[in-house]
Amino acid sequence: MSKPRVAIFDFAGCEGDQLQIVNLEEGVLDVLGQVEIVTWREAMKEQSDHYDIALVEGSITRKGDEERIKAIREKAKILVAIGACATIGGINCIKNFQDEKFVRRYVYGDKAHWYNTYAARPVSAVVPVDANVHGCPINREEFVQVLKALLQGKKPFIPDYPVCVDCKKAGNVCVLLKGQFCMGPVTRAGCGACCITEGAYCWGCRGLVDDPNMDAARELLGRFGISAGEALGQIRLYDGYGEEAR
Amino acid sequence: MGGDMNLAIIEKEGLHLFVAELLRRKNTVVGVKDQSAVSSIPGDSGFYTYAPINSPEELTLSFDVTLIPPKKYLLPAYEQLLTFNLSPGSIKADAPKEELIVFGVHPYDIIAINQMDKVFSTVPQDNHYLERRKRTTIIGVDPVKIAPRAFWSSMGADTVAGGFDLMLTDIGQCYVMEVGSKKGASLLKMAPKTREAAPAEVKERDKVRTEARKRCDANRLSFSYLELPSLLDGKEEHVIWEEKSHLCFSCGTCNLVCPTCYCFDVRDDVSIDLKKGSRYRTWDGCLLSDFAQVAGGGNFRGHRADRYRHRFYRKGQFIYRRFGDIACVGCGRCSAQCPSDIADPIAVFNRLKEGI
Ligand code: SF4
Ligand code: SF4
Ligand code: SF4
Ligand code: SF4
Ligand code: SF4
Repeated sequence: MSKPRVAIFDFAGCEGDQLQIVNLEEGVLDVLGQVEIVTWREAMKEQSDHYDIALVEGSITRKGDEERIKAIREKAKILVAIGACATIGGINCIKNFQDEKFVRRYVYGDKAHWYNTYAARPVSAVVPVDANVHGCPINREEFVQVLKALLQGKKPFIPDYPVCVDCKKAGNVCVLLKGQFCMGPVTRAGCGACCITEGAYCWGCRGLVDDPNMDAARELLGRFGISAGEALGQIRLYDGYGEEAR
Repeated sequence: MGGDMNLAIIEKEGLHLFVAELLRRKNTVVGVKDQSAVSSIPGDSGFYTYAPINSPEELTLSFDVTLIPPKKYLLPAYEQLLTFNLSPGSIKADAPKEELIVFGVHPYDIIAINQMDKVFSTVPQDNHYLERRKRTTIIGVDPVKIAPRAFWSSMGADTVAGGFDLMLTDIGQCYVMEVGSKKGASLLKMAPKTREAAPAEVKERDKVRTEARKRCDANRLSFSYLELPSLLDGKEEHVIWEEKSHLCFSCGTCNLVCPTCYCFDVRDDVSIDLKKGSRYRTWDGCLLSDFAQVAGGGNFRGHRADRYRHRFYRKGQFIYRRFGDIACVGCGRCSAQCPSDIADPIAVFNRLKEGI
C-alpha cells in the first residue's frame, strides 16, 4: 500500500501553525513516517498536484484565494483546516469591521491596487472542510491526534465543551475568582487551558463552542465592568467572522 | 504511650514530628497547600490545593476548602486503564501501585469518598478505583475555617463516623486524634509524644465541633436534607430550571469540582500503525452538552435546562434511590466556582421548599 500523500498550503496567516508542524520532533517522525509530504512551501522545494490530504493554514481574503482553495478541494480527498485563521477566520477578521480600502492602503501602501482583498473568512466559508485543528497556534499533540484519526479512517475527536473543563483538569485557580475576565466559558476546549496555566486568561483563540451561551457571556462581562463595546472587541479578536454571522 | 488508644492526644510539635517521620519512611504524603506554593502565578494565594508535600512545614491544616476535592487521587482527571496489542491481540490492564497518605481531609469530603466507595464497589465493580482506594490512607481533620459558601452543617456532613484512618481535631494547644482503622492504629504508633485523651479533652473536641457547625450554619438548607428526595417529587416542570439555566455555560465546573461526581468518559488511543494502543478515562460531567449524546447524534438532554435540572435530581433524589445517600455534602465548591453563580444547591432547594 502506498503512503497517503499530504500537501500543506498557506493562505492569509502568520505560518505559526506550519512552524508547529516543523517543530513536531518525535511525534512527527511517527506520524509523518506514515505519509508522504508532496507539497510544502515552508519546508521543501518540490511541488506536486497529486495528494490525498490537504492541510490548509490561513484565511481566505480575496477572490484569487477562492479559486485556489476550490482547486485544492477538488484534488484532495480530505481537507483539514489548521489554525484559527483557517478554522474560524481568526485575527484576520478584525479588519472586517474596518473600511476595506483603508486597511488595504495601510497594509500594502502604494501597491494597494494590486491586491483585490475582501472581508476575511475561514476556509469553510468557501469550501467544505473535513476536520478542524483549532487554535492560534495549533496544539501539536492535537494536530497529531487529528491526523492519526483521519489516516485511520476515524472521526477525529474535537471537543465541544468549554475550556473550563480543561482548566479544572489542570487544577488552575479560575481567574474569575481573582476578579479577572475570561473567555473560557464560551471557548472550545482542547488546548489544556494552557494560557490560564501560564498565568494569563483565555482570549478565545479556538473559537466558540457549537452552542455558546452569549447571554451568559454578556452578563459575565457586565459583572466585570466590561462595556458592551469592549465585550464585542474581545469576541472579535478571534471570532469576528462568527460574530458577524450571529 | 499506652496500648490501644481510640482517642489520643498529640501535641502540635508531635504532629510535626509525625509528618516528618512519615516522610522519612518514604511515604508519599499529599496535603493541602496554599495554591500560590503550587502555581507561582501572582494572585493565586488564598486558594487551597492538594499536592505532594516534602516537609511538614508545607502542610496546611487550617484550610477552609480546596478547589478540587481529594477525589483527584482516587479518580484522576486522566487515568490510563489498559494497553493493548492488535496483532497478535492481547490486553494488559494497568494496576495502580502507588501508596498514598492524604493528610488533612474534611469530614464532608470523607463522606463523599465513602459514597464513591459504594458506587464503585457495586457490580460491575471498578477495580482501578478500588485498588487506588485500598492504597490510600486518609487522615481527616475537622475544619476550623469555614468556606464562605459551605453549608455542610445542614447536609449531615459536619462529622463522619468512618472512612478515615485517623481523624484530627485542633483543640487549641494540641490535637485530638481518633483512630478509625487498623492502619490508623499502626500509624499512631509511629507518632511521637502521644497519650490517651482525657475526658475533658474529648469534651473540648465536642465544643470545637459544635462551634464550627454553628459558624457553618450561616448558609443552610432551610429544612432537613433527608426531605430532599420527596421535595423533588413532581418538581420536574418547575420554572426554576429554565430560569436559572438561562445563564448556564454548560461548562461542567459544578460537576468537576464536586466530591461526589464520579462520571468519566473512556477513550482509546491507537498507534498510527494500528498495532497497539491504550485506553484511558477522563473526567466528564452531566452538564456538558454532549454528555447524553449517543451514536447517531441523538441527545437525551439536548437542552441546558434539562442538564441543569438533572444535576439537582441526582444530588437530591436519584443517588438516594439507588444507594441511599444524598449526593451533596455541602462543600460549596460548585457554588463558589460556577462562573454564573447559579449552581448553589441551597439556593435551588430552599426555593423549591418555599414553593415559589
Ligand atoms: S491561526 Fe494563529 S498561528 Fe495560525 S496562521 Fe493564524 S495567526 Fe498564525
Ligand atoms: S479561568 Fe477561564 S477557562 Fe478556567 S475555569 Fe475560569 S473561566 Fe473557565
Ligand atoms: S486558553 Fe483560550 S486563548 Fe489559550 S489556547 Fe486555549 S482557547 Fe486559545
Ligand atoms: S458551573 Fe454553572 S455555568 Fe457551569 S455548567 Fe454548572 S451551572 Fe452551568
Ligand atoms: S453539589 Fe456542590 S456543594 Fe454539593 S457536594 Fe457537590 S460541589 Fe459540594
